[in-house]
Amino acid sequence: MKAVGTRLPRYDGVGHVTGRTVYVDDVRVPGTLWAKALRSSHPHAGIVRLDTTKAEQHPGVHAVITHEDVPRNVYGHLEALGVPADEPLLAEQAVHYRGQPIAVVAAEDEATALEALELIEIEYEGRPALLDIRKAFDPDAKPFHQWGPVFPHFGTHTSRRIRKGDVEGAFDRADLIVQGVYRPQAIDQVPIEPQVALAVPEPDGRLTIYSCTQAMYFSMGVVAAHLQWPLNKLKFVGGTVGGGFGGKVDTATETISALLALKAHRPVKWRWTREEEFLASSTRAPWHMEIADAVTQDGWLLGRKMTTLHDAGAYTRFSSYGVTKHSFHHPGAYTIPNLRFDGYVVYTNRTPTTAMRGFGVTSVSFAAEIQMNRIAESLGMDPFELRLKNANRVGDLTANRVRLSDPSTVPVVLAAADRIGHELKAEYRQMTNAPRSGELLPEHLLASVGGGS
Amino acid sequence: MRLIVNGIERELTSEPLEPLLHALREELGITSPKAGCQEGGCGGCTVLVDGEPRRACLLPLAAVDGASVTTAEGVGEPGRLSTVQAAFHEQYGIQCGFCTPGFVLATTALLERNPSPTRDEILADLGGHVCRCTGYVKIVAAVEAAARGDVSADALNAGGTGSSRGEPEVVVTGSPA
Repeated sequence: MKAVGTRLPRYDGVGHVTGRTVYVDDVRVPGTLWAKALRSSHPHAGIVRLDTTKAEQHPGVHAVITHEDVPRNVYGHLEALGVPADEPLLAEQAVHYRGQPIAVVAAEDEATALEALELIEIEYEGRPALLDIRKAFDPDAKPFHQWGPVFPHFGTHTSRRIRKGDVEGAFDRADLIVQGVYRPQAIDQVPIEPQVALAVPEPDGRLTIYSCTQAMYFSMGVVAAHLQWPLNKLKFVGGTVGGGFGGKVDTATETISALLALKAHRPVKWRWTREEEFLASSTRAPWHMEIADAVTQDGWLLGRKMTTLHDAGAYTRFSSYGVTKHSFHHPGAYTIPNLRFDGYVVYTNRTPTTAMRGFGVTSVSFAAEIQMNRIAESLGMDPFELRLKNANRVGDLTANRVRLSDPSTVPVVLAAADRIGHELKAEYRQMTNAPRSGELLPEHLLASVGGGS
Repeated sequence: MRLIVNGIERELTSEPLEPLLHALREELGITSPKAGCQEGGCGGCTVLVDGEPRRACLLPLAAVDGASVTTAEGVGEPGRLSTVQAAFHEQYGIQCGFCTPGFVLATTALLERNPSPTRDEILADLGGHVCRCTGYVKIVAAVEAAARGDVSADALNAGGTGSSRGEPEVVVTGSPA
């Protein structure tokens, strides 16, 4: 344990402060071409005609690719986990979000690549766009996604479900029902380094891919799947990332750079502009959360009913995974014995959404904590005492039936009260996260602490 | 076009209206100025032009013909860091590092002009630089340490061939178990 408690210099600090650290965009390979993408100008449209002939003939252009050039165009980020694929690498007959890539050009330089984009002929047939998740379930809504309005592959269900205890009984016994609606919006990760990849064809037939991915082996698998190549023909160079924050978990640039490099027989770099980052890179999702809590006059949470709509954007990517994490955390850091949760992954004609710092959890933590304040206010109770009373304790059973061995709610709430100088009654100030007993183990919690459901 | 880049005179063949950033990165292969937004918004491309911090992404080459340009590569080098570089390294004013060259150069110019800036002056002066990792707390601490000259000899010499790369010196600040 030499490193714990010591102050060690950063291993990469000297490179960073002297400008010597080599990020993907700093790798220099002679003969590198620049890539630029034709992106959808519509949130939802059919592609009536696409002709890249003039772009291909433009001097300085070495390759143009469309979906026809991708050995396996539709591949899902969660396919390895058994979730079927729904997202094309390059759009086929339709575009489902503004900024969706349709064709990509590799040319001698950036300016030539941009000129070539202007020469691609495309005709759209505009279609109504769904941009508000709350309208996805309207009787006259026409789902654009092949699976309908929502992701249907949570086992046999169309939602991530949690059923614990007797929630209707809890609501029958409640003194008060407190409801809340919470709608945090999309947030872009905004790494200062935009999405970028450099693909270099090697003389032995392999491809070297310089990648800014946050998930090297995952991205390698995604590229191999689209190319229908064995992994041993790919060499990934990565690990030096100019900020990611979740936004570089999706494989954004590597596959297209690889396909262009193979077609052009030249190294190809694809670096997004800041405008492309904001338009087309995946964001943290917008969420719509509705909570109803059954509470007693003395501050116990007997039950929670919750419905969550997660805005996936146009395709699934990791959304179902995010909603699953979200569901596990939906009671917050508190033990609520009776639960009914439904989380839907809803498709809209927005940029697909993905991971960002606490994927799926930050949204529900925000909602759960504001909800606690509202409950305290409704009861005329101290919000710290409400939290301490219902806090997770050793031996409690979580929403997803994990027996807690070292929950931190009590010490964290006590520390927060201490930091802001909030006075607590002695019985609360002296609380620990020790297993429930006495007044902290009322009858309604027996099943949650014992071996019951 | 002619520039003095990090003390070396260079002839450039890039077009006069090319951004300085592009000429430095693509023609000269000097890659510490970063193409973060190319709209003058992030500060990642900052270089010193005749000692003043400038956004290289917005500056046409023609506007700096004959000027002296300094990038992070020219401020110091591994084993011989500048005070500002050593302070950023030692105070952990860096995380992913992508914005760091811009911060180092802006700080270098600031301390040249105003050797003892107040905290407010630091915040105002570096306000055009975006860092998404650190939350700025340690960046400000690094600038204050640099202003005080509070950098260790180890930090100034960090990265040199004589430094112990594999086994960094361990300074115990906690109570070891």
